Amino acid sequence: MRKQLHRLNSGGLIDRTQALCFRFDGKNYDGFAGDTLASALLANGVRLFGRSFKYHRPRGLLSAGPEEPNALVELRTGARREPNTRATVVELFQNLEATSQNRWPSLGFDVLSLNRLAAPALVAGFYYKTFMWPARFWEKLYEPLIRRAAGLGRAAAVEDPDHYDKAFVFCDVLVIGAGPAGLSAAVAAGRSGARVIICDEDFRLGGRLLAERRQIDGRPAADWLAAILAELASLSEVRIMPRTSVFGLYDHGIYGAVERVNDHVAVPPAHQPRQRGWRIYAKRAILAAGALERPIVFPGNDRPGVMLSGAVRAYVNRFGVLPGREAVVFTAGDGGWATVRDLTEAGAHVAAIVDARSEINPESKTMALRVGARLFAGSVVEATHGGQALRSVTVRDASGKRARLACDLLAVSNGWNPTLHLTSHQNGKPVWEETIQSFVPGRLPPGLAVAGSAAGRFTLAEALRDGARLGREAAVEVGFAAAAADPVPATDAETDGLAPVWRVRGNRGKAFVDLQNDVTDKDVELAAREGFRSIEHLKRYTTLGMATDQGKTSNLAGLAIMAEQVGKAICETGTTTFRPPYTPVAIGALAGHHRGKDFRPVRLAPTHDWSREQGAVFVETGQWLRAQYYPKPGEQDWLATINREVLATRSGVGLCDVSTLGKIDIQGSDAAEFLERVYINGWKTLPIGKARYGVMLREDGFVMDDGTTSRLGENHFLMTTTTINAAKVMQHLEFCHQVLWPELDLRMVSVSEQWAQAAVAGPRSREVLRRVVDAKHDISNEAFPYLAAGEITVGGGIPARLFRISFSGELAYELAVPAGYGDAMMHALMAAGEPYGITPYGLDGLNVMRIEKGHAIGTESNGQTTARDLGLGRMMSSKKDFIGRLMAKREALVQADRPSLVGFRPVDTNNRLWAGAHFIGIGRAAKTENDEGYMTSVAYSPNLKHWIGLGFLKNGPTRIGERIQAVDPVRNGEVEVEVCSPIFFDPEGTRLHG
Amino acid sequence: MAEQAKSIWRPRSAWAGIVEAGQIGVDGKPGVTALTLDDMGFATLIVPPGSPDLASATKRMIGLDLPKKAFVSLSSTHGVAWAGANHWLLFARQQAGFVDLLQSFSDHAAVSDQSHARAALTVSGPRVREVLAKGAMVDLHSSVFPVGATALTSFAHVHVQFWRTDDGPDGPIFEILVPRSMAGSFWSWFAASAAEFNCRIDRD
Repeated sequence: MRKQLHRLNSGGLIDRTQALCFRFDGKNYDGFAGDTLASALLANGVRLFGRSFKYHRPRGLLSAGPEEPNALVELRTGARREPNTRATVVELFQNLEATSQNRWPSLGFDVLSLNRLAAPALVAGFYYKTFMWPARFWEKLYEPLIRRAAGLGRAAAVEDPDHYDKAFVFCDVLVIGAGPAGLSAAVAAGRSGARVIICDEDFRLGGRLLAERRQIDGRPAADWLAAILAELASLSEVRIMPRTSVFGLYDHGIYGAVERVNDHVAVPPAHQPRQRGWRIYAKRAILAAGALERPIVFPGNDRPGVMLSGAVRAYVNRFGVLPGREAVVFTAGDGGWATVRDLTEAGAHVAAIVDARSEINPESKTMALRVGARLFAGSVVEATHGGQALRSVTVRDASGKRARLACDLLAVSNGWNPTLHLTSHQNGKPVWEETIQSFVPGRLPPGLAVAGSAAGRFTLAEALRDGARLGREAAVEVGFAAAAADPVPATDAETDGLAPVWRVRGNRGKAFVDLQNDVTDKDVELAAREGFRSIEHLKRYTTLGMATDQGKTSNLAGLAIMAEQVGKAICETGTTTFRPPYTPVAIGALAGHHRGKDFRPVRLAPTHDWSREQGAVFVETGQWLRAQYYPKPGEQDWLATINREVLATRSGVGLCDVSTLGKIDIQGSDAAEFLERVYINGWKTLPIGKARYGVMLREDGFVMDDGTTSRLGENHFLMTTTTINAAKVMQHLEFCHQVLWPELDLRMVSVSEQWAQAAVAGPRSREVLRRVVDAKHDISNEAFPYLAAGEITVGGGIPARLFRISFSGELAYELAVPAGYGDAMMHALMAAGEPYGITPYGLDGLNVMRIEKGHAIGTESNGQTTARDLGLGRMMSSKKDFIGRLMAKREALVQADRPSLVGFRPVDTNNRLWAGAHFIGIGRAAKTENDEGYMTSVAYSPNLKHWIGLGFLKNGPTRIGERIQAVDPVRNGEVEVEVCSPIFFDPEGTRLHG
Repeated sequence: MAEQAKSIWRPRSAWAGIVEAGQIGVDGKPGVTALTLDDMGFATLIVPPGSPDLASATKRMIGLDLPKKAFVSLSSTHGVAWAGANHWLLFARQQAGFVDLLQSFSDHAAVSDQSHARAALTVSGPRVREVLAKGAMVDLHSSVFPVGATALTSFAHVHVQFWRTDDGPDGPIFEILVPRSMAGSFWSWFAASAAEFNCRIDRD
C-alpha cells in the first residue's frame, strides 16, 4: 500500500482495516473506508484540487462539507461521468475515479491561467461591457470563446445507464440533520411513539460531533452518539435516512429530499436505484441543519492551504488527516482556538495565532504559550505567498507592523452562519441578529421549528437542549403524550465569542468574496459604484452567490462589504432569498422512473397486439398509440399503403380500430334533458335504438367536441367523444351536472376502457358483420338502417353493441365488444371478411376518407372555430337553450365574411397541397392584410387521383368555383387552388345508405 | 364455421403480453409477490344523492355493508368499494354470474359494467409497502390505511383504485385496479420498482 504521508497514525472515524484504492487525474492513491474523496486526497498530500471559474487560479480545499466552493471534480467516467461533484461530500469507494475540472492541459499547468494576466480587465460586468459590439460577433465568436474559458465540468455525453426512483413517505415529525440537536429531537419525539424520520446528508450520523473533541456527561461525545443511535434504531416508528439531503420545503409540510442510495459504490447493484427522490409529508419538522463556518476576505485568501478552521478540525478529528504541519490560525472569535488545540494534539506545530480581537483572555494566552505559538492580537493576515500551495503568510499587527511567517496551512475562522436555507423557501426572510453577527431564521413556515446552530444557538449545550425540547413539543402537537424528559446531558465548557472581520484591505493580490465565481471585494465595490446596490442586483451583476454552492460561504461577506460601501448596516441591506434546492440535485432523482418511454403512461387499445401482428405503424395521439397505417411488403412508401387501404375500403370492406374514442355512459330520468343542454342540437326526439351526431360548445361559443350519442334505453344514453377530448368532455359534463344543474336526475361514468370498438366500412361491411353477429339479430338494411344502434351478441352470446354510423361515407358499422374480446373481435372480423378482401386501415386512411367527405376533426374544430365556421350552423337549435348559445352569437362570430369551411383542389392536379398554407387572392402580395384564411387538412385522394384540402376561407361557401393562391412560403411556395364543396366524394351520400 | 367462431371468441387477459409468471430482481426470497387477477367482474354503481335503498340491496344480494367512506367491504366472493360521492365499485371474484348480479342491482343504482375496463392484481410481501411508496401519494401506515381502506389515486401517473385486504402470513396485501389501456405502463413502473426487493410473479 502506498504511504499516506498526511495520515495520522491513529484516531479518526475511518476503518484502517479497509483500504480503498482510487484515482485522481490518472494517478493512483489509497484511502480508507470512511474517507471522503477530499480527506483521502489530503491524506496523500494533494493540495491542488481544481482551477477557478474565471481566472483559472489554483484552488484547494476550503471546507469539509456541502458548502465547498473549490474542490469540484468530475466523478466517474463514461456514461456515469458526473461534473461539479464536491470532493468534500463524495464518499470514497474502491476504484473511484475522479478528474479535476476547468484546466487544460493539466491541473498543474493550465494555459488559460494566463487569464490572470488579463485579470485587471476581467471584473464584474466585463462580458456585458466588452462584447456588446459588433452584435453579430456574439454568437459566432464571443460566446463560444467565453464558454470555453469559463465554466465548470463536462456532463456525460451519453445516456445515464442507472435507474432512479421517486418515492413518497409520511411522518409525524421530520428531523432535518442528525447532529446533536437533530438526534436529541428525533429521540425525544420517537420515544413518545410518533412516526419520526431523521435525515442527514452525510453518510455518517453525528454532525459536528464527528469533527470535534467534545465531552458529554463527562465522557467522549462518541459514547453519547453511540447510545442515542442505538436507541433510535430500536424505535420501530423511527426511520433513519443517512445520505439523504432535504433540499426543499414546499407547501403544506411537504419536503423534497434526495437519497444517494448507491453513490458510494462504483456501480449500483443490479436492480437498485442510483438515487431516490423523496417527497416527505411531515406534520411537523425540526430543522437541525447546523451552521456553516465563514471564511475571511483578505488578499490571497484563495491559495491552496487556506482552509476553514472547522474543516481543519474535521480532517484532523474525523478523518485522521493532518492538513498541514506548520500552521497559522487566523481567527475572529473563539472558534480558531479549538483548532489550535486540536492541531497541536494531532502533532502539528501552530506557528502563530492571529486573532483579530485585541483583547485575548488569559486562558488563551496560556494556551498559545503552551503550544509555542506566536500570538498576534488585534492583527490580521494581509497576504499569502506560495505558488500552487501555501508557503507563508504576511501578518499585519495593530500598529501596522508586518511579519512574514512560514506555514503550509492557514486555518481561518470568522464565526458561523446558521444553515437556515429551508426556512426561507416559503418566502421567509432571514433576520439579522446583532448579538451573534449572523442572519437567523425569520418568520417560520407552518409546522417548522429550528433547533441549535441552525437557529443561531451555536453551543453544544444549546443544541442538546433545543433538540430535546422541540422534539418533545412536536410529538405533543401531533397528538402523542410527551415522553418523560431525560435531563439534558452536561457538556464540557465552551465559548463562542466573536467579532467578525468582513474584509482585510491590502495591496498584495486579490481578496475573494466568492471563490466559486471568482468575485472579489473589488468587484463588489465596482458594483456599488455602478449603482448595482440592491443585494439582488449585486448577485446578478457580479454572479456572487451563484452556481453549485449558491454562495454558502460568500453571501454574507458580499453583503457586508456592500453595506460598508453604501454606508448602511447589514440588517438594512438585507439578504438574497434562498430557493430550493439547498444543494444540487440530479434531475434523474426528480424524474425517477419517468424518463424515455416511461416519461408518461402510454395507452394501448385492446386491439393493439392485433394491430402489431398486422404490421401496423403506430402514432401517438395524446396518450394513445394508434395504428397509423399497415404497410405490406413491396409498398414503396406510406402513400402507397394508404392509397391501397382507402381503395380497398371504398371498393370492398375495411377494418379500423376506434376503441380509443371516449365513451360515457349516461343514465337517469333527466339524461335526455341534459344532452339538450350540452349539445347544440335536439335529443328528446331521438328514439331508443338510434344514434345521432352531436356538437357541443364551450361556454364561449366555440366548438369543444363532437361525436355520436346513442339512446340505449328510455333513460340510458351512450355518448362518444373524440379520442383527444375524452377526459376534457367528461370533466365538462361533471362540472355541468355538479355545479350548474345538480337538480338533474343523472348518473355518468366513463366506460372508455370497457369497450373495444372497430369500424367496419365499405360496401361489403354488412356481409362481413352478418358472419360475426349472432344469427338471431337482424342487421338487414330495413331492420338496422343508417344510424341504428343496438345491443346485440357475438360469438354465441357475448354482449356487444352495434352502431350503424360512418365516418368514411361508406356503408359502415361500429362494433363494440367488452375489451377482453377486442383481440378476438379483430380476428373474427378478419376471418369473416377474408372472402371480401377485408383490409385493415389506420388513422391515415381514416383521415383521407373523412377529408373526401368533408368531415371536420380536431384540425378544424381547433378551439378557435364555431359551429357556423364548420358549416354546422344550421344544427344549432333555436328551440332550446344550450351551453355556448349566447356567446356563439357574438358579432365577430357571426360576421358574414368570417372564414368558413370549404374544400380546395389544385388547379394543376399534379400539385400537392400543404396544411397550414394561407389563402391570398391571385396577383396579390403574400402579406397579412391580404390573408383570407388557411388550409387545415390535406390528403391525396386515390379516388380523385389528386390532392384535396379543407380549410377556412372568408365568405367560403359563396365562392365555390373561384380560384385563389394557397401560399406556403416554407414549403412549396404558391399553389393555385379552386374553391369547391368540402364534400369531394359521393356528395349525394348514396353509399352511406347502401 | 361455428367451431372456428367458438375458438376465436376467447377473452384475452388485460395482462396478456405484459406480465409473465416468474421472478424479477435479485435471487433469494421474494420481498414482494404479485398475482394477476384475470377473472374478476367490476361495475360502477351510482345513485342519486340521498338514495336510500342501495345499502339494503347490497346487504341482501351479496351480504355486504355499503361503505360510507373510503373503505371496501369484502367477502370471499364479492366486494364493494367506495369510489367517490354516491359512487361505488361492485366486484366479484369470478365473472360467472356477474351479469345476472348486475341485472338485479340495476333497480337500485345506475350500473355500468367495467369488468373489462380494469386490469387487476394482488400485491403482497414484507417489502410491498416500500414498492407502493414509489407510486402512491398515500400514507400506507396501518394507523392511517388499515385493513379495508381504499384510495383512488395515481401510481406513476396512472389512475388506480386500490385497497387493503386482510393481512397474509407475509404482511399486508393490497389489490390494485389499473385502467386496462395503461396496464403496460403501470407494469413497467411496478416491475422496475419491485425488482430491488426481488419480486415473484404469479398469473391467475
